[in-house]
Amino acid sequence: MAGYTREVAKRLFSQEFRESNLTFKDGDDQYSPQYLFTPTGAKVNRMFIVGTLTEKEDIGSDSEYWRGRVSDPTGSFFIYAGQYQPEAAQVLAECDTPEFVAIIGKPSTYTTPEGDIRTSIRPESMYIVDGETRDLWVLDTAKATLERLKNLSTSHPDALKAKEHYKTDTKHYASMVLKALRSLKEEY
Amino acid sequence: MNVIVADIRTKFQELGVDIPAEKIEERLEKLIVKFKVPQEEAKRSVVNFFLKEYSISKDKFYGGQGETTFSKVADISEDGKWVNLKVKVVQIWENTHESISQVGLLADETGTIKFIAWAAAELPTVEEGRSYIFKNVVSSEWNGKMEVTLNKSSSIEETADDIHVQSKSKGVASLVKVADISEDGRWVDLKGKIVQLWENTNESISQVGLIGDETSSIKFIKWASAEIPVDLVEGNNYLLRNAVTSEWNGKLEITLNKSSSIEEISDEIEVNTRDTVITAAMVDIQSGSGLIKRCPQCNRSLTKGACAEHGKVDGVYDLRLKAVLDTGTITQDVLLKREVTEEISGITLEDAIAMAADALDQGVVLEAMKQKLVGKYYKVSGPRVDRYVLVESIEKESILDHKLLEELINEAEVI
Repeated sequence: MAGYTREVAKRLFSQEFRESNLTFKDGDDQYSPQYLFTPTGAKVNRMFIVGTLTEKEDIGSDSEYWRGRVSDPTGSFFIYAGQYQPEAAQVLAECDTPEFVAIIGKPSTYTTPEGDIRTSIRPESMYIVDGETRDLWVLDTAKATLERLKNLSTSHPDALKAKEHYKTDTKHYASMVLKALRSLKEEY
Repeated sequence: MNVIVADIRTKFQELGVDIPAEKIEERLEKLIVKFKVPQEEAKRSVVNFFLKEYSISKDKFYGGQGETTFSKVADISEDGKWVNLKVKVVQIWENTHESISQVGLLADETGTIKFIAWAAAELPTVEEGRSYIFKNVVSSEWNGKMEVTLNKSSSIEETADDIHVQSKSKGVASLVKVADISEDGRWVDLKGKIVQLWENTNESISQVGLIGDETSSIKFIKWASAEIPVDLVEGNNYLLRNAVTSEWNGKLEITLNKSSSIEEISDEIEVNTRDTVITAAMVDIQSGSGLIKRCPQCNRSLTKGACAEHGKVDGVYDLRLKAVLDTGTITQDVLLKREVTEEISGITLEDAIAMAADALDQGVVLEAMKQKLVGKYYKVSGPRVDRYVLVESIEKESILDHKLLEELINEAEVI
């Protein structure tokens, strides 16, 4: 497969994910990858999250369709897994809550009748992990988010685009990161 | 320009045709001045024009009557020259391009040069080890090196003269260290240890892998056409003679061809590996991982019980992992051999065989390894080879870096 490169799994907190509402395609044929563009300028086609699965519910009518809620120090992610995400659906069907989970998945968006954009994750795979991994992820994600915040003051195209669309308040996201980092200290 | 005009005029006079200089000059000037054609090309074009006008065959003109002048291989230094050569074909190379009929190496007592016979030239084929007279071949430069191409105007004639070829063999290739290999197209002798033998799916390749010495390691390819009777074994030490360095995809490698030889040696070579260290989350384990079967003869992994080279064989079980690590900014493919896989997964080869037998399915081993390993952070180290890091040590990350935590808090406070 010449020219094929695997999409990197981006790290972002649930709060930033929830506050994202811009999607675009890189290129214009049907196979072009779709990206979610976040307020700190992350271009997300794939993401890696680790958090606590706090709720799960089969909301499907005919076939199983699972909704899960995964929390991190800044809020919660929603994940949806049906017949096209068999691995994740199986994990959701079998696991208990709460549980530490790691999810590799694609961002997806849904526009409500009121015109609001809701973000969720379509998991490609989902694994049960441990608390240590969850803490490592918070640190990892804080570091990645701070990098992006620092880049926002540069003239990088992604930074310009983020500021243009979201009018990003860097203080807002810096305090989000701070909250996440401080939560790690409380546990020790 | 006058020189060219005179040159053309003389050549035609030799063939009994007297063309007025003005006519030649007019045509040549038009091409060079008005149409910005390079001199050599313009000359060729003018010659062809008059050949056609006077119905003279190209062979007659270029091959000439009487004495043909031959060039020596070492004297070929300019692009776009028509030359005649008396040479021996020393190598015919593997040819993958359909527009090429044959490609290889020609040699005379002064040196060697690559040749390409285009399929469109419809020339008779040549054989390795025989001597030929090549007429009207064109020199050209490619990638900074000279070569000759055979086209429709060229001719090939076998000759009984045995051409003494400058020996490129023993003595010419020098014994080098891997780290010193820095140039394409060098003949080298190399003492090294086979670090890895890779799976090989191309039937024109006999063996491929990684050879290393105390300075570094490098990819090697042993072509099937080289017909070298020695089968390299992982972990053993060898002296490779007359291997050729080549560049592929921006990386250097060494190839073993018909002129090369391999000798096992008793020296124990300590291989230096410049290790890559990565700390990242494992985000996937790819198919072909877990419990696999390998061909007992060539160590390739089997697909549906069959080896690409040896067909249906009784495979030997092995464990391995092909995993993807992701730092959030890059992804890295990593390969884990059996020992490392056993260590990190806690599943030994024996366990894995028992698990597969229980479930009547090899896939359960891969599934168990995924459950155990994916989604967590690891620190791995090992040499990087092509797109893989060959993992020699892997450790699960579990302790939070409190120093980093403090640093990040300080950073976040000042943004």
